[in-house]
Amino acid sequence: MRFIDEFYNYATSVDAAKLFRMFWFFFIFEFFRFFLIEITTLILWKFTSFFRKTRIADARLTLLEKQPFVSVIVPGKNEGKHIYKLANSLKEQTYQNFELIIIDDGSDDQTPEICRSLKKSGFIDAYYRNEVRGGKASAANLGLRYSRGMYVIHLDADCSYDRDAIENILVPFYYDLNIGAIGGNVQVRNYKESLCATLQAIEYMDTISVGRIASSELGIYRVISGAFGAFKKEALDRLGGWDIGPGLDGDITVKIRKLGYKIHFEPSAVCQTSVPNTFKKLVKQRLRWDKSLIRFRLRKHRDVFFPNDSFRWSNFISFIENITYNLILNVKWYFYIADMCINFGSQLFFIIPLNILLYTANNILKFLVFSPFRDRKNESISYFMIYLPLMVFYFGYFLRIVRTTAYVQELFFKTSYKDTWNPAKSSAHAKALKL
Amino acid sequence: MKFDKIEIIDNKIEYENLLFYSFDSGSSLKIEHLMGYDAIIIDARDNDFARYIIKKIRTHYNPEFYLKPIFLINYKESKDPFLNYLHDGLVYSYDQIKDIAEVVKQIFFKTTQLDYQLIPSFEAQTMKKVLNYMYTRELRTLKPYVDLNSIIGYTFPEISVHFDDAEEAQVLEIFDWAEREGLIWPDFHERIYLCNQCSSGFLSYREVCPHCNSSNSKSEDLVHHFPCAFIGPISDFKNPIDNTLTCPKCNKGLRHIGVDYDKPSIIHHCNSCDNNFQDFFVKAKCISCTQDIEVQYLIPKSINVYKLTKKGRAAATNGFLSSGQEIEDIFGTINMATFKIMLHYELERIKANPSQKTSIAIINMENIFELYNKIGKKAEKKLLEDLVHMIRENINAADFIAFENSSTLYLGLMNADTMRAEQQLMHLSILIEKVIKTNFNGFDVKVLHKGKILHTHSKAEMQLQEITKDLFD
Repeated sequence: MRFIDEFYNYATSVDAAKLFRMFWFFFIFEFFRFFLIEITTLILWKFTSFFRKTRIADARLTLLEKQPFVSVIVPGKNEGKHIYKLANSLKEQTYQNFELIIIDDGSDDQTPEICRSLKKSGFIDAYYRNEVRGGKASAANLGLRYSRGMYVIHLDADCSYDRDAIENILVPFYYDLNIGAIGGNVQVRNYKESLCATLQAIEYMDTISVGRIASSELGIYRVISGAFGAFKKEALDRLGGWDIGPGLDGDITVKIRKLGYKIHFEPSAVCQTSVPNTFKKLVKQRLRWDKSLIRFRLRKHRDVFFPNDSFRWSNFISFIENITYNLILNVKWYFYIADMCINFGSQLFFIIPLNILLYTANNILKFLVFSPFRDRKNESISYFMIYLPLMVFYFGYFLRIVRTTAYVQELFFKTSYKDTWNPAKSSAHAKALKL
Repeated sequence: MKFDKIEIIDNKIEYENLLFYSFDSGSSLKIEHLMGYDAIIIDARDNDFARYIIKKIRTHYNPEFYLKPIFLINYKESKDPFLNYLHDGLVYSYDQIKDIAEVVKQIFFKTTQLDYQLIPSFEAQTMKKVLNYMYTRELRTLKPYVDLNSIIGYTFPEISVHFDDAEEAQVLEIFDWAEREGLIWPDFHERIYLCNQCSSGFLSYREVCPHCNSSNSKSEDLVHHFPCAFIGPISDFKNPIDNTLTCPKCNKGLRHIGVDYDKPSIIHHCNSCDNNFQDFFVKAKCISCTQDIEVQYLIPKSINVYKLTKKGRAAATNGFLSSGQEIEDIFGTINMATFKIMLHYELERIKANPSQKTSIAIINMENIFELYNKIGKKAEKKLLEDLVHMIRENINAADFIAFENSSTLYLGLMNADTMRAEQQLMHLSILIEKVIKTNFNGFDVKVLHKGKILHTHSKAEMQLQEITKDLFD
């Protein structure tokens, strides 16, 4: 009780100037980028979408009239157990002019038997198998090589899709002919499975369902999720498909941007996925994702920063934003902590709770304000509200530490090339060629 | 001609009270005239002729014929199992008749020990002939032989001789039946697959496109280029100018398999429908009827060496009983046991009311097995069903019918004296002959019938035996 009184007295004594001095990092970078810019963009998007309604309706009509043939490719290893459910959910789609191609990347379980049986019974249209594992990129490329569609939709086998998801993800191609690839709205299906999954559900709502609307509108949308992405076949053919991962989703997005195509996020194309249900699995996944920032943004695609024939401001800004907010500010955060320890060392006992309060208040505000912009809520707001105070620790500490670890590992040790997610035979070449 | 003490006059040879007939392609004797001969010597210089005579004799319905000892003279090596395994010996000159006379006597002696009871079904009839033949030749096993003339590719000479080459699959059905009856037991020899349309074992297995079933396809290795993750058929990588392999995505030359590229699988391209696939459909094309069949729909059959069981060995001499289940199932008939019970009650009824007249009748289709031989088991049952249906339409509703076997049936005719029964039987016999002739390419069935009024001074079963005896005598 004594601490609460003292904390209250301390908090009420802090004026605006001191508050800014203590939390400059938050106000300058985080609140500005992740709240002010996003809310402004979202309001503008909502406002203009009213005027876009007719164009979108026309685009949908054109799509349904033209009925372009679409290839749905699903690469993966040991995914047989998911394929029936996936194929069944795709049979329910409102748009049906597609072929379903399953690519088996050297599965060593029952996947071949399951897929052959499903192919025979007409659930899937084509099944290709690499007897030797080649990695996700080569599996996707095999699907691409034998796809016959005008558009290629890349799915993950363990996801499920809204009945109109395929139709909705294709509509933007007829809305703006310069769009080369479209990302779907990935939501968390297993959010009730564990605390870890619930926190990720809140994160996905913020960074994907809402955050990507803003980044798409700002023209800096940079990762089309492998779980649900649609591509113009001609764009993929020009690129020769996917390059070696991990991080191939972000890589292909950048490569399509470099060709001059626009990248679009479609919030109404909803896909549900299962996220890691333990923190251990989550760490493994995020280390892989975060390393790709160093590998692809800083190394492979560093030409984006230099004026050349393919230079585009949107790409440049997208990269700068990405690197600033992920790499630079992540490093700067440690300087901020040092600043606090050095200059406000005696007050840390009060500053830390104040920091937590501030971020929690921000998270609640964001959650409430952004919720109306979400395409749909997969649970009442109240379900997630009680978990929002934990997001400070999840976002601010847990993910930040994981990110830092990933950056250090990749910057100094290039550990992504040792990741068993990709076969060593491919990674060795990627490393040698600095891919 | 004279061969030492053995004389051959008009193809007849007499030796120690045995009469041989020497058959050659110039002989004009009909098979039916062989009745008085003890053995036959066939000139096998013409294989086809020898085969024809052997088949004619061994398939005859009369044991006097089908068990007759056959010897071959002037035999040349042949792959025909009928020629190789359905004779009783080879002779190189007529002088050897004295050597084979013992064999003839032995067969003749064995023949006298056989049982010749009426057989209740086609399967039993055929099997009984085989068992009789085996008994007289002291054979214990029925062996399969590869035979290109047989539609299933295998033949069991002793039994297959009763069927045309195209009907060989029926032999396997008879074996199944005999196995169920406990007459033989199988020893696995080979597994075969038969066409589900015509039962042919001559199948051409082909890998076909799963989309259009065409076998016109091209197979290629898939090549995975490690550095850029490109993957495609090897033709994508082939440089038409210098035949080197270059990656179409990154333009790098492929140097060393396992180091910078590998071949993770094979892809097939259908030249007929442009489909790409990795898993061929395997289909079997029947050479006999050209039907294209998915392999899972082929009929698997075991080719076994069959050994006679104790029951099988005894069946030749003691006869055997078969359930005859197939014919008991025919709608409109009752089984023999029920028939006898009903006849017994009918007899009691007549005793109580002597003015009532009831007749019993027997109809036998003497040579019907020749037809059954050709049409197979299913058609046989269908024919019997049709005949029963027809008979039912021409007798009273209260009359009852029972099959003794698939060639003989009994009728209980209510309120019919001998004359009326005879009229009805005459009418039915004509109808049966007409129906079979019309439906089976003019096949002339010989229908025998006998009717008799049921009298009260002897048992019903006794009266059934009497009427049967009267018919066959």
